[in-house]
Amino acid sequence: MVTVKLKSLDEIVESLRRFNRVFIFGCQLGSARCKNGGLREAYRVAGYLELKGFKITGVKSPGGTCILDRLSSPERNLLKEAEESSDVILSLACGAGTQLIAENVSIPVKTGVTTLFIGAERDGRYFEEYCIACGDCVISSTGGICPVARCPKSLVNGPCGGAIAGKCEVDPNLSCIWFRIAQRMEQIGELPDLRKPVPPKDYSLSVYPRKLVLEE
Amino acid sequence: MSFREKVATGKFVITAEVAPPRGTDYTSVIKAIEPLKGKVDAFNVTDCQRSMVRMAPLPMAKFLKDSGYEPILQLTCRDRNRIALQAELLGAYALGIENVCLMTGDFTTLGDQPDAKPVFDLDSVQLIEVASTLNSGRLMNGKELQGRVDLFIGAVYNPFAGPEILQVWKLEKKIKAGAKFIQTQPIYDVELARKVSDLIYSLGAVPVVGILPIKSLKMANFMKKLNPTSVPDSLIEGLERASNPATYGWDFAVDVAKACIEFSGGVHFMLVGKVQELASFIDFVKNHRDYNGKF
Repeated sequence: MVTVKLKSLDEIVESLRRFNRVFIFGCQLGSARCKNGGLREAYRVAGYLELKGFKITGVKSPGGTCILDRLSSPERNLLKEAEESSDVILSLACGAGTQLIAENVSIPVKTGVTTLFIGAERDGRYFEEYCIACGDCVISSTGGICPVARCPKSLVNGPCGGAIAGKCEVDPNLSCIWFRIAQRMEQIGELPDLRKPVPPKDYSLSVYPRKLVLEE
Repeated sequence: MSFREKVATGKFVITAEVAPPRGTDYTSVIKAIEPLKGKVDAFNVTDCQRSMVRMAPLPMAKFLKDSGYEPILQLTCRDRNRIALQAELLGAYALGIENVCLMTGDFTTLGDQPDAKPVFDLDSVQLIEVASTLNSGRLMNGKELQGRVDLFIGAVYNPFAGPEILQVWKLEKKIKAGAKFIQTQPIYDVELARKVSDLIYSLGAVPVVGILPIKSLKMANFMKKLNPTSVPDSLIEGLERASNPATYGWDFAVDVAKACIEFSGGVHFMLVGKVQELASFIDFVKNHRDYNGKF
């Protein structure tokens, strides 16, 4: 899931300073799940903005702001609604959703979040980065655990010399992911595979902006 | 005899570390190691170690060479992608610098400019492979090189890092990729130094054991914090008892170095200061009859 972090309310207010009527979009996929930009947070921001003298023209949180159908369908066109009633749109969707809104309206769009990473939810309390979308997935050969995303140096040939007592040299609160990979590979009987040298990665596969074309 | 010839013929080598200046005054760096001229076989020139900006290692290595010292150019994967690394290695060889020690490198955020973009396009194993490919007359994309390259490739090993099996396999990958000598992190235990040396020999490279004299109890505790198992309790206890901890720490490290002459391929002094003492130590061992023919 794409995770986002809500900006400080003061920062949001500052970005809306020139406007009065504000329409707020959240997103019920990533932003809601990580409790930083779903309907609940959108209403919280709306309340604060009203206190600061803004007029809130609408608060909506579609199930997937990066999917155009969810924003404007023949039955209900949220974008048109927002555009006609407001001076500005505040989006709490991830970078993809916010850009899609901006592409389809004529009024300014501001973001109330910073998009962080592709992560997995842990203990219902926090998210950890699991994937950097490198375009050249290696996890089938590393026990389903990604060293590219989960080692700060993206090492694919094994741990660095800074892996002391199971901890990462970059952040002592972080476990070295290679310890977990070793444990998992042993458990599934694939440990010897890690003895084989891994050639350099093809970084041309992660040159952005990338495109995924759907087959007919 | 050059560093490379000594390693190839099984002589005991002594290397030491030189950090380029934070600025342009390389002459004072060279002046500081003058007592070691003709004694230390080669000097590792560090590549912005601890991720702090200093003069690039390649010009510093060249300045050393021009002043009569043999350099080992250290290159890390932290700041350069594969294009820059190949270019650097070609430039080094063209300048007459043939010894290189290749490693992944410290992470950017550990230094004093943590906002820098980390590169890590290649890792240490892949970089060693690239250097070997250059030696075979080609770039890593297969294109033929104009002019020959014959780098003498080294790498590093930390016996205190884990998981052990993966560290050993990574060491094996480095040696298979073309590393001929392996310099280790500081070791303070003779038995461990022997075990590590045996391991490196068995994988087909020459071990050069890291020696870092401890100057104070504070430094020992710092080292222990970095690497809990690397500093033995006996060293800590000795430092606590010693009237002069710096002398105690020096003697302790030098005793490990002396022991290594029996079973290892060399020692690598990672020291700051103590240049005169190191020079005397080298004179002592080189003239000692027990070690006749080892150097």
